[in-house]
Amino acid sequence: MIDDAPDGGRAGPAAEGGLLDPAFLQRLEALSLVSRRRVRGRQRGERRSLVRGRGIEFDDYRAYEPGDDYRYIDWNIASRLDRFFVKLFSEEEDLDVRLLVDSSRSMAAGAPVSKLLLAKRLAAAIGYIGLVNLDRVEVGVFSSAPGPRLTRLRGRGRAFDLLRFLDGIAAGGETDLGLALRRTLDASPRRGLLVVISDLLDPHGYEDGLLRARHYRVQMFVIHVLADDELAPRLSGELRLVDAETGRAVEVTVDADALRAYAAARDAYLDGVQRFCFRYGIDYLRTTTSVPADDLVLRYLRQGGLVR
Amino acid sequence: MILGAPAALWALAAVPLLVALYLLRVRRREHIVSSVLLWTRSLPSWTAFRPSRHIERSLLLLLQIAAAAALALALAQPSLLGWTLGGGDVVLVLDASLSMRARDVVPTRFDRARAEARDVLARLGLGQRAALVLAAAHPLVLVPPTDDRGRLGAALASAEPWDVAADMPAAVVLASQLAPGPRRRILVWTDAARSPVPALPGVAPRVLGTASDNTGIVAFRVVQSTEGATALVRATNFGAQPVRAPLRVSRDGAPVYSAIMTLGPSETRTASFPVSGTGVLRAQLDVRDALPDDKAAEALLDPAPLPSVLLVSPGDPPLERLLRVAPVARAAATRDTDPIGWRGYDVVILDRVQTGPVPPGRYLAIGTVPPNLPASPSGVVDAPDVATWDRQDPILRFVDFTGVQIRQALRLAPESGRVLAAGPSPLLWAYDDGRLRAIVLAFALADSDLPRHVAFPVLLANSLAWLGGDAAGLRAGQTFEMPAAGAAGVVLLRPDGRRVDIRARDGVFSLPLPRAGIYRVITPDGERSLSVALGSDSAGIIAAGAAGRGEADAAGRRTAARLAVWPWFVLLAAAAALGEWALATRRHGGDA
Repeated sequence: MIDDAPDGGRAGPAAEGGLLDPAFLQRLEALSLVSRRRVRGRQRGERRSLVRGRGIEFDDYRAYEPGDDYRYIDWNIASRLDRFFVKLFSEEEDLDVRLLVDSSRSMAAGAPVSKLLLAKRLAAAIGYIGLVNLDRVEVGVFSSAPGPRLTRLRGRGRAFDLLRFLDGIAAGGETDLGLALRRTLDASPRRGLLVVISDLLDPHGYEDGLLRARHYRVQMFVIHVLADDELAPRLSGELRLVDAETGRAVEVTVDADALRAYAAARDAYLDGVQRFCFRYGIDYLRTTTSVPADDLVLRYLRQGGLVR
Repeated sequence: MILGAPAALWALAAVPLLVALYLLRVRRREHIVSSVLLWTRSLPSWTAFRPSRHIERSLLLLLQIAAAAALALALAQPSLLGWTLGGGDVVLVLDASLSMRARDVVPTRFDRARAEARDVLARLGLGQRAALVLAAAHPLVLVPPTDDRGRLGAALASAEPWDVAADMPAAVVLASQLAPGPRRRILVWTDAARSPVPALPGVAPRVLGTASDNTGIVAFRVVQSTEGATALVRATNFGAQPVRAPLRVSRDGAPVYSAIMTLGPSETRTASFPVSGTGVLRAQLDVRDALPDDKAAEALLDPAPLPSVLLVSPGDPPLERLLRVAPVARAAATRDTDPIGWRGYDVVILDRVQTGPVPPGRYLAIGTVPPNLPASPSGVVDAPDVATWDRQDPILRFVDFTGVQIRQALRLAPESGRVLAAGPSPLLWAYDDGRLRAIVLAFALADSDLPRHVAFPVLLANSLAWLGGDAAGLRAGQTFEMPAAGAAGVVLLRPDGRRVDIRARDGVFSLPLPRAGIYRVITPDGERSLSVALGSDSAGIIAAGAAGRGEADAAGRRTAARLAVWPWFVLLAAAAALGEWALATRRHGGDA
């Protein structure tokens, strides 16, 4: 049975009532989000920009051209090679971080915490990292259509807004990832980092939405959240399985053979998601509700290259 | 099994209907899952959704089918045919002939008979009595009428066929005497190979056997003579087809003789050849038929042991002189007429002494008759002539009474036994009741000139051989009586390897000899071997005979003996329905 799982089980960042506890937040402050691509922000931030010029981090040399600032000529090279080269520096700009949380009805499943709660904690942690690094953070909710969004967050002082927004998300509606991505990116077409946290159990398919997002040249990171019961159902007997989102029913005799068939379908599905993301350069991390959010952020998202 | 209402079997059509209803009425529990996406993706395998899976795994359905099928069968009123057992005594008669070892009925005719008899025992009514008779060379009452099933079953389990030709008529008559009532049932299992079953009231024969061809060794023995030992192997073809049978004889594994015996239908041939040494000869006939048990035989090569002789006499010089040279192991003389002093001797010669009743043993009585012999003298006869004597009898072999003068003899009046020589009255008489074997010479040696004739030593040798050489000529089915000679018990090792402990009774060991072959008797004084031949030369006939009128009676009773089994099917249906209900109740709301 699908439930809004209580926040029992292992003590996580929000064990005391909030999504993230102070100790975890303190550890997050040492982290920053990683952009595989050089980003182009609007304001000066703490991130290497595609724009080379006045930054402090050396990036490259190029031949001197008339009009270049003399201060950037490398005189040591000029004395050895008798040619002028100009030192290039990376500009440090801010990063657009967009967090998209799946709040469909299926996300209510899971134990010891629901998939939705885990997704909210992950979004809170990632958003908080962005805020403390002066990135521009935007968080949105989607199910069958884009839900409420919280935009233009920047700086540590907006963390409370972020957490309060996430805390108010409840599960409901069907999943339509394609529609949600399209509307989100249409409304905010900037490049940047797009983190999608979803169970990808989309009857319409996840492929179209993710492919469309690539057209906006954003760096995508998909966090695939699944419940343990979805990976290995603990069912048996003559059952009428009802989809929590669509109400669609499937009659099935669950026995060892049926579970083997399910496992084969599950493996094919998960393998398909992973191959799809790899093929289109989408960073992908799969987790289950039994993995605590702090482990995911401090360990797996680091290994996955989203934070450092 | 017969059906009283076969049309009711149409009710079995309810079974496929039940299956169809089952498939249609599967009750499924509703379970909400986050998504059925992966379940629908597993659909193409169809393994989880095949309707037959419901049938395979549903104990409930199986119980329902069982209940429905049992009910349908019960409606058909099935009943079993069998011998009616009624309420009277039942006597089970088992043919224990050699031919019942034939394997044309699996595993053997006797084993099949035993199994069927066991079934009959299981169907006896409460308190109904049964008896068990084994038809061997002589009928044996293994268990008198009793309602003790355990005793009957144990006796049945230990019963075995003998190497004899059963006396079926005697066995059936004995069985009828055991159960004289009008409601008695005498169930006979036999192959009726040699004689039909007497058609007495209440007798129901069951004839077993299909094969008829058999060739076997019917006799194998070694004859000792002054020229040496000669082995005789006699084989008979009991079938209707000629048989070419290789014969091999060995001694302790070493070949001694081989030949090809060509036997026409119902033909008997004897192979003879000289043998020497000691030991056991084994003859093997290489023929394959339904009765393998008569293809091998054994014979003792050793000459029969000589008897020890005690002469109880006031003094008889001719007799004492002759005993010194006679073929005896040892000879002694005494005047003591107390039988206690005679122990340890195989033969006791009572010469003109008056004794009381003599214990079981071997006796040559000369001029006297022990009072417990059935030939009490009724006076004397003066100067009798030996008018006739039986020259064929082994005791009188080569004995010629011509010219023998007798002054006076006892007037014997034998009630049984056989008269070997006679004048006005029996002069030489032999008696053997199995426990007491005796030869009575009606006159004293001193009252005749017999000691001067050559017949005297020959008669004495023959008499001692007959009295002491009793182990010769033994046949299966006999009981060998051996004087205990003070021993309390002996061990009998049978040819099939079984060991039997025999206790002395009335100074005699009664050794049962159900099988042919070499028996070994282990006594405190040593070991003795006995060679036992087949109980009858016709024991190898295996062709099953007709059951006679008795079988018609049995068939009639089968009709009357229809045992209704439909109540059992009703019980089965009720049990299955109850089980289904209990299981369904227990599973209510649980896993299917």
